[in-house]
Amino acid sequence: MTRYIVRRFLWMLLVLFVVSLITFLLMHAVPGGPFDREKAVPPEILANLNAKYHLDEPLPKQYLRYLWDVFIPHISHIPPGTSLTDDHLINVKIGEKLWLKWMNFGPSYSSRSRTVNDYFRQQFPISAQLGTMALLVAVLIGIPLGILAALKQNTIWDYLGMGIAIFGVSVPVIVLGPILIWIFGVTLKWLPPTGWGAKPPFILGFIPSKLGPEFFKYAIMPSIALGLGQSALIARLTRASLLQVLREDYIRTARAKGLPERAVIFVHALKNSMIPVVTVLGPMFAALVTGTFVTETIFGIPGMGRYFVISITNRDYPLIMGTILLYAVILVLANLMVDITYAFLDPRIRLTD
Amino acid sequence: MSRKLSVALALVVTAAMLLSACATPTPQIVKETVVVTKEVVVTPTPVPKKVLRMNLGPGDVPTLDPSLATDVSSVQVIELTSVGLTRQNEETAAIEPGMAESWDISEDGKTYTFHLRKGIYWVKYDAAKGEVVQVLDCQGKPREVKAQDFWYGIIRTLKPQTASDYAYVLAFVIEGAEDFNKGVITDTAAVGVKVIDDYTLQITFKEPAAYNANIAGMWVAHAEPSWLIEGDECTEARGDKWTETGFFQGYGPYTLKEWVHEDHIVLVKNPFWPGIPSVPQAKIDEIVFRMLEDTAAFAEYEAGNLDVAGVPIGDIDRVKADPVLSKELVIGPVLCTYYYGFNTKAPVVNDVRVRRALSMAIDRKALVENVLKGGQEPAQWFCRPGLTGCPTPKDYPDLGVKYNPEEAKKLLDEYLKEKGLKPEDLDLTLMFNVGVGHEKIAQAIQQMWKEKLGINVKLASQEWKVYLKTIRDPKATPQIWRLGWCQDYPDANNFTREVFSFGGSANPAEGGGVNWKNDKFEELVRAAAKEMDPKKRVDLYAQAEQILVYEDAVIAPIYWYTRVTCTKPYVKRTFSILGGLEHIEKWDIAK
Repeated sequence: MTRYIVRRFLWMLLVLFVVSLITFLLMHAVPGGPFDREKAVPPEILANLNAKYHLDEPLPKQYLRYLWDVFIPHISHIPPGTSLTDDHLINVKIGEKLWLKWMNFGPSYSSRSRTVNDYFRQQFPISAQLGTMALLVAVLIGIPLGILAALKQNTIWDYLGMGIAIFGVSVPVIVLGPILIWIFGVTLKWLPPTGWGAKPPFILGFIPSKLGPEFFKYAIMPSIALGLGQSALIARLTRASLLQVLREDYIRTARAKGLPERAVIFVHALKNSMIPVVTVLGPMFAALVTGTFVTETIFGIPGMGRYFVISITNRDYPLIMGTILLYAVILVLANLMVDITYAFLDPRIRLTD
Repeated sequence: MSRKLSVALALVVTAAMLLSACATPTPQIVKETVVVTKEVVVTPTPVPKKVLRMNLGPGDVPTLDPSLATDVSSVQVIELTSVGLTRQNEETAAIEPGMAESWDISEDGKTYTFHLRKGIYWVKYDAAKGEVVQVLDCQGKPREVKAQDFWYGIIRTLKPQTASDYAYVLAFVIEGAEDFNKGVITDTAAVGVKVIDDYTLQITFKEPAAYNANIAGMWVAHAEPSWLIEGDECTEARGDKWTETGFFQGYGPYTLKEWVHEDHIVLVKNPFWPGIPSVPQAKIDEIVFRMLEDTAAFAEYEAGNLDVAGVPIGDIDRVKADPVLSKELVIGPVLCTYYYGFNTKAPVVNDVRVRRALSMAIDRKALVENVLKGGQEPAQWFCRPGLTGCPTPKDYPDLGVKYNPEEAKKLLDEYLKEKGLKPEDLDLTLMFNVGVGHEKIAQAIQQMWKEKLGINVKLASQEWKVYLKTIRDPKATPQIWRLGWCQDYPDANNFTREVFSFGGSANPAEGGGVNWKNDKFEELVRAAAKEMDPKKRVDLYAQAEQILVYEDAVIAPIYWYTRVTCTKPYVKRTFSILGGLEHIEKWDIAK
């Protein structure tokens, strides 16, 4: 198992390298630069800006500079949190005015007092909180609904369950969100229409400092709006998979052995039917946790989702690279977790070397 | 077996949580030298605090540094936390004294000597004490705002290393500034800004012009705290981070209490601001600026959590019909113009008759009423009425271009007859940047051209930054292209001349844009810049506009922007015509 995990980590490094290279090439291939404005920028100012951010260097040098900043640890005299060009995610004090620093993703071109790391520290945890809660909603609604539909196939429960699933997938967040806001936020005034209940600094980097009603009253509507759509997929997958497993021979054997129906389903059938569900949970987790543009915009949540899109329209190169690499890391790790989980769900699957 | 399952599930859940922790690294072990704002529990005071809640627009404010600001939202906050030498009245657009009580202009009109007010101090918000305090220097005395601070601010904006987008406005008018900004000279003494003494600042402009005093008061020329940015014996240098929570220093009617990125900015009243005629002491204690998208902000307004909000286009009809909301609705001018430019060297539109015909065939009123619905004003020329020097429809009712389909058809027929063509033969493309609004307008106008002139115009759209490159590319500029322009400083010079004179923003010297040169036009706008008599000045711009939109029909102006805002009845406010730059120090809440 350990060897397997180590090998997967090495593959992850290769994947990150390839992703970073392709992203770098693509973003420089697209016409338009970060400093193009509606009013034509005088060429000297443009030259100043390009020089400041090293955009006048040849592309290979820029790319290598980027890799150097991100992957190689440095020793530095500059105190953390004071400079825009020397801002690292990990800082270890090793002397009086000496730090060992690692992972500098660069400054942001759109916000003149923030670095990409600032977005990781302040915006990403909020997206992660929303994403995790949405995933919980999706799983807590989807799996029970799917099980119910499978067990009571072709009855009213099946149609109801799948009806809810179809609703969830057909009504996008951009419709469901404002409806929820209108009902609960504006008309009934039970919940705040927009905003988020936690702000930096966070515990362990991502847990809100207060997990009380203050936090949840902001989180309920966006989590449901986002989770409901995702729950549809989980419900249908659970239903289909469970139906298939219930037709297997060993289930018939278990029943023949005289095991109580509850044990047959929840102990034997369910575990094996979870494999397709867990497969989609990996990418779904990665997508939700890195932030969703539409949900965050509708609910005014200060997350990272909008920056996946805005960074591209702004041609904010370091932020584009940072967000894409973040997504890649989370996706790879999530898939690794999924693969490890397989081994627990189905003993026939062995993590081969 | 079931135990294995529950163990596995528990593992997955735990791993998922740990995953998020791994993705965000463990916190720094280093103790930061930064002052972290503490939550201060404030015991309820008998006098309720007046808090105004507004919205700045989606996404974080890009910067609060006066030298770097380009965005309306950045400038809005900056104009509340610091004051320029001069201050523009937001309702009349008149230039009033700001930090300079008065100024003398030399004989040749180029040298302005500004006399600063005394007794204005730098302040910051002290989170530990929960109040605004004066900034102390190394001898323990409060720091007063002095001419040196303005000198520092202007030079910092112009320094090439600062890479300020808006330095060009100062470089355009101040002597020596352009060379300094381009790095041709490095000696600050060669720039026409001199500190005569603590309270006297002298600025030498390249030319005498009516807008010099205006530009001297712009945010890029505000005073900046050099000790905070560069550091001194008793202050740590904060560099680019000087505008962050806990560090920010200002001197205006408000100062920064808190800036939570992407979420909100809180400004708190500065009790040390003495109040001057153009910038009174603030009556509202706190302003909370949210950062929400239109529809989210309006939902908050209706829920009672925002006091002012813009009305999204889709809600305008509903608001106008609502008994309560319609009373809170105000439609006011914004100093921006929407227009279609013609590439005067491209086929078909290289003939002025075609251009004028296309321009006159646009029913601007119908467009505003049926498509835009925001009370916009049909534009007869380019510069926006309300700008200093710009003609108004009241005084010049027949100036420029108006809807006249018969005249348009006549002109077009003349052209077609000469070329021996039919309207359907004309190959025309209208390009715009991606956006639902632009698309709707283009489709409506395409329809008008088909009905009134019989021309089939093709529509094309591109992503914003790609589009900007296309319309300035001499080889790729489309025949008809859409653009807008908003004021940098509220003067007709910024519109008519800076955009369309040869070498201007939409008329690059290398080609692209409108691709046009007219010597009479150049003469007129240069004369208008120097003209000091307001009436004569407006007349000069009127003549220039007539050439721009009618005689040469280089562009087809479409509409002048407005904004549609709802304000709660308990907010006593002024309505700014300066492109949404509100002077909130003049507002009050009467609950």
